[in-house]
Amino acid sequence: MYHYLEEELEQLKTKIIKMGSLVEEQIELAIRSLFEGNLDLAKTVISRDDEVDKYDIKIDKHCQRIFALTQPVAFDLRLIMSALMINSDLERMGDIAVNISERAAPLLGYSELLKKVRVDEMSGKVKKIVRMGIDCFVNSDAELAKKIILMDVEVDNLDKQIFDLITLEMRNDNNMIIPCSHILTLIRNIERLSDHATNIAEDVIFLIDAKIIKHSKDPDNLKQKE
Amino acid sequence: MTQEKIHIKDLNLYYGTNHALKNVSIDIKGNRITSLIGPSGCGKSTFLRTLNRLNDTIDNVIIQGDINIDGQNIYDKNVDVVSLRKKVGMIFQKSNPFPKSVFENVAYGPRINGMKKKSELEEIVERSCRRAAIWDEVKDRLNDSAIGLSGGQQQRVCIARALAVDPEILLMDEPASALDPISTAKIEDLMFELKKNLTIVIVTHNMQQAARVSDNCAFFLMGEIIEYSATARMFTKPENEKTQNYISGRFG
Repeated sequence: MYHYLEEELEQLKTKIIKMGSLVEEQIELAIRSLFEGNLDLAKTVISRDDEVDKYDIKIDKHCQRIFALTQPVAFDLRLIMSALMINSDLERMGDIAVNISERAAPLLGYSELLKKVRVDEMSGKVKKIVRMGIDCFVNSDAELAKKIILMDVEVDNLDKQIFDLITLEMRNDNNMIIPCSHILTLIRNIERLSDHATNIAEDVIFLIDAKIIKHSKDPDNLKQKE
Repeated sequence: MTQEKIHIKDLNLYYGTNHALKNVSIDIKGNRITSLIGPSGCGKSTFLRTLNRLNDTIDNVIIQGDINIDGQNIYDKNVDVVSLRKKVGMIFQKSNPFPKSVFENVAYGPRINGMKKKSELEEIVERSCRRAAIWDEVKDRLNDSAIGLSGGQQQRVCIARALAVDPEILLMDEPASALDPISTAKIEDLMFELKKNLTIVIVTHNMQQAARVSDNCAFFLMGEIIEYSATARMFTKPENEKTQNYISGRFG
């Protein structure tokens, strides 16, 4: 049973890592499609979302099978629970990559505006957080996970600043109302990516330390809830 | 009542030169189910048998330390072992009914304790069989041999027999390991019912059973208690790596 379980858990981790890489690439392409005005890239992201969804189902089924056949406990149990939660977050991140790609067409020709209102800065930060989120799971790194949770606060602050910049643009020039409305939707999506990466970080802390820290932004001063 | 029922301190047990239990100290709460887990030969059954002095019957056994039940040291020379075993009943892995009728099996304890009146014995047999969740299955065959019952029924008759002398503690040494899943479920349901009035200590090799039925769990390894905690905690966040490895099937 032990070897069987070990193999199953390894395979499950591999699936999560592959799905994580795919979602990370989808996010990268989605953001590039936006800044480069490359609608082919945007279409690629939209069409590849099916692959992400297939991983989602594969991972769900795999977890179900391990639960049914091995009745895991302790670390093994937490690993499968984390895999389920991370799977769900990755699937949503894939959907968000599609949402971002869908903004490429209406924002065609507005790459300078995107930079002016600091969307490039925000997306760069979020791509880094997403990468760290996947890395902290791959390396079972709870310390890295805690850093992500703190970085999410920076993204939230940047989100508020960008909101002010966009509304200023809209006030100054009526012609900017439509593109700026798209940018408002866009930054909401980018900010959500950071939230999902943070959820992954929280799942990794649950996996490693058996602490449930969700709904708190202060991982070092959390009272342990079990 | 959930306070400490059994208090064990610095318990050491030797079979000749074999040091079978090493400095075992735990408190077992009343009206709770406490499971003892660990690989074969780790000392859990030996420990269980110290709680009603069954090890006394083994040659060359040396027992040191304190076992107090309700504040009384059960190894005190003034303790009457027969009374102790009336208070601390035991159920074994293999059901062991006497080659007598169901009625005589259950009435055995009260009878040897001096109860003779038939109506009183009948009342105790019915009450005990009901408590052991076997009454409906045997009420029409009380005079049949208990040996003719199924394994699961025999085990519940043995539980009824143990209950007939009104114990406060029930020791169970792998009570369901030879039973099918339905009989096992009946025994486990019964344990939940019994713990309202009894303290139960169970040895089991079945990790899922320990997780399902017990409130607290002690993990034994080579005669020592490695970890003792609430079962829910042990099976979700064990403190010791050896516990983690054992409960997840990585050794043992």
